[in-house]
Amino acid sequence: MSLKLAKGLLQKLRDIVGDKYITSEPLATFVYSQDASVFGGTEAELVIRPGSTDEVSRILHLANEHRNPVIVRGGGASIYGQPKGSPGSNLLLDMTRMNRILEIDHESMTVSAQCGIIMGKLQHPCRQAGFYLFCPFAPLQIVSLGGWISGAAGGGGIWRDIISLTVVLPDGTIVKTGGGPGSNINQHLFYNRNLGGPDFTGLFIGDGGSFGVKTEATLRLTRFPEVMRASIFQFHDLGKVLEMIKRHVECVDPHPFYPIMVFGSGAMRNFMPDIGEGDSFVVMGMMQGHVTQEMDAKLDVLHALGEALGGQRNPALDAMAAAMAASSSSESETMMDWLSFFNALGLACWLPFTLPRRGFAENYQKLISWRQKRLEQAEQRGYRCGGTFEFFTPPDQSTIIGEIDIFFQGTPSPEMFAFVRSTMYAFQEYSHQLGSIDVYNQGMMSNLHARLWSPGFRQLYQTIKSALDPNGILNPDLWVHEQSNFKER
Amino acid sequence: MGKKEMKALSAVSHFVYNCRKCGLCGSKCTAKLPYVCPIKEATGGFEHSSARGKIILAQGLLEGKITPSRELAEIIFHCTLCGNCQTQCGSIDNATGLPLVDTPRIIEAIRADLLREYPEFIDRAYQTMITSTSQYDNPWGISRATKERWPKGLSLKDAQNESHEVLLFAGCTIPSNPSLESRARKAALILKKAGVDFAVLGRKEPCCGSVQKRVGAIDLAQEMMKNNITLLNNLGSSTIITLCAGCYHMLKHDYQTAGTPLKPKVYHFVEFLSQLIKKGKLPFKKKKTLTVTYHDPCHLGRTMRIFDPPREILKALPGITLVERVATRENTICCGAGGGMRILEGGILAEEIGKAALEMVRDAGAEALVTACPFCELNLEAAAKNLVSPLAVYDITDLVSECSGGEE
Repeated sequence: MSLKLAKGLLQKLRDIVGDKYITSEPLATFVYSQDASVFGGTEAELVIRPGSTDEVSRILHLANEHRNPVIVRGGGASIYGQPKGSPGSNLLLDMTRMNRILEIDHESMTVSAQCGIIMGKLQHPCRQAGFYLFCPFAPLQIVSLGGWISGAAGGGGIWRDIISLTVVLPDGTIVKTGGGPGSNINQHLFYNRNLGGPDFTGLFIGDGGSFGVKTEATLRLTRFPEVMRASIFQFHDLGKVLEMIKRHVECVDPHPFYPIMVFGSGAMRNFMPDIGEGDSFVVMGMMQGHVTQEMDAKLDVLHALGEALGGQRNPALDAMAAAMAASSSSESETMMDWLSFFNALGLACWLPFTLPRRGFAENYQKLISWRQKRLEQAEQRGYRCGGTFEFFTPPDQSTIIGEIDIFFQGTPSPEMFAFVRSTMYAFQEYSHQLGSIDVYNQGMMSNLHARLWSPGFRQLYQTIKSALDPNGILNPDLWVHEQSNFKER
Repeated sequence: MGKKEMKALSAVSHFVYNCRKCGLCGSKCTAKLPYVCPIKEATGGFEHSSARGKIILAQGLLEGKITPSRELAEIIFHCTLCGNCQTQCGSIDNATGLPLVDTPRIIEAIRADLLREYPEFIDRAYQTMITSTSQYDNPWGISRATKERWPKGLSLKDAQNESHEVLLFAGCTIPSNPSLESRARKAALILKKAGVDFAVLGRKEPCCGSVQKRVGAIDLAQEMMKNNITLLNNLGSSTIITLCAGCYHMLKHDYQTAGTPLKPKVYHFVEFLSQLIKKGKLPFKKKKTLTVTYHDPCHLGRTMRIFDPPREILKALPGITLVERVATRENTICCGAGGGMRILEGGILAEEIGKAALEMVRDAGAEALVTACPFCELNLEAAAKNLVSPLAVYDITDLVSECSGGEE
């Protein structure tokens, strides 16, 4: 173990979590230096798997005393890497042991769980109880609840469904936001972020893990949508696709169950060989709800919109839509297959964006042109790669979230990894110029986002951070706009 | 990388680099799948216990970031090779239909390199097993004569000297365990009752090489395969029936890579038995009232996709009610004994894993668990002894034998 870890610290930490849940074995800690991203994980000196809020509190208290950086990791599924901290003295909290569901409240329609739980494990009992946790397009089987709240939900996901958080502040103080005993509302019966003062829940959503360690959360549930309808159109004109999205948003609220998703035919060909060649747009509308007549009516609306704009249906598309409807599942369930599907496409160079609907067509074409140049550069280096694209209407109806990812085929080399890293970095720099902000708030992306902050906002962030974390121990290199070290890694 | 070459790992490096490190192999959970990795579940749950962690270590070895050590060997041998990680990964090469990431092959390759180049790091239990194979032609150190004990008094044909259609291949584990020995007798009697023309090899029956291959003794396993194919091809059998899921996987799957094809068709006993029952060749005389659930052995179910025959047999048995637990068919949870885990550290962790599988049996409302593999049976029986309230573990042959009149 490094001399940077103070004498006696290891034993004190062992006393907190027990021998079984702490390791300083070099091979065990080495494994945490990688995650799902091309940017890598954290070089940790110690890995600890706490089992309770109290244990997290005591660990942070000790880390403060000894000035050791603490890096928090959930499912290890971030696509932008993890904070690097200070190799040699990092304590890494692997939160996935905190994976219990605490309560499903049928009457209030809420679920409370520990934040290390993987979202798929959380979704399953909710569904068994007849409920559905709306968390669209997250790879549920690999993302932890805490990681999702810290990293993705704040950027256009379902922040409004997160109604209470238990957070351990960097100094070890335990706070509960939004409702319940000891919260800023301090009433047993309330889970409501609008009541009882400032909405501190929002402070911790999308913070990347900077302000505290989320240990428990209460989320709003909806009844599981038993009725599903789907329709798929093919368009050759982006303008028509965007017009369809616009009209759909105007007449059907896409939240929580009616997204319009647009895919490139290249990606869809794996599912539908008959889709045909060319850069067409496959527009999928999914309606999920509780009343058959309502869903049929919404399907009629979608059909009318698609047909009015010249969208094409064909037997292959109709069969796919029928299969989706017959599955009676939510999009969350289909995401499991999406993950395996994407993994099979090759080494992913994720190029996500969130752009306003206004001016989308022009900006989208610019992004596509940018990617085309990058694809040519990749080919010059001898890489075989292909692009996909997809975009959809998030709950925030004024924007469109999408990705124009590149998948590199063949066995990846270190040079290929470096090229992917630099492409992801450069894409975000470029898309920011067009007004895009990505939904993720982790690793490299937090640093990129911080560059765009106004001086006032930066000062506000730094004031809050230094008040909560005076020693700067918790996920220390997040939101540090001066650093661009992710680019070089 | 160390000074010595990691040849076997290098040969499967594409599997290592095809892994996206997404973590699905360690975290997936559905209504039918409570968890993926039995080792991760039964230990402290650190990343190195799951497939993603082991693949990261493999990459570290390939890139020279880590070097072989006793600690590395310990991690790599803490794997049941159950293959659930690979199943749940589901990442398939669209061109070939084959898995993009074959975790069991990565683990077997590292084991092979460690065993060949760094034997000093390997647990003594495995060294003993390999020595036993060389001395006794079986991994458990039993004398060759032990294998001729179970057929005694049954007047079975000698496969080397008498013409026959079917070779009954008992394997090493069943004859070497007094508690399992009767299984082979029961199987033989069932075949007799059904009028099957079969023979056995007795003390001449070789070890299939499965256990040796799983723990990384690939050169030894290769030699055994080669010799066995020559022996088995010369017997004149049209069919080989195995009683052990490990032997079945080895003979049917791994032997395809040996160069010379194995001529006889290979079936597991449950496949053959379900056909006999369907053809009406095995009437049942007795009723046994019992609610059971079936534990799919990894080598038989997930790997070879033999899911329905054992269930068809159980449904055909008078009085038997079959209920399904979670973690069934391709989502089966390893009994804990796979990949050499049963002999590691006295089998403590293996039994811990087995206990988790047994708890699911109770949740399904079953009174007993039935399996079709001696490794599963041994380990689950051992684990059942540590349960607060006992739970019966059967091999499917036991129930078929009982319902068909036993030794009558």
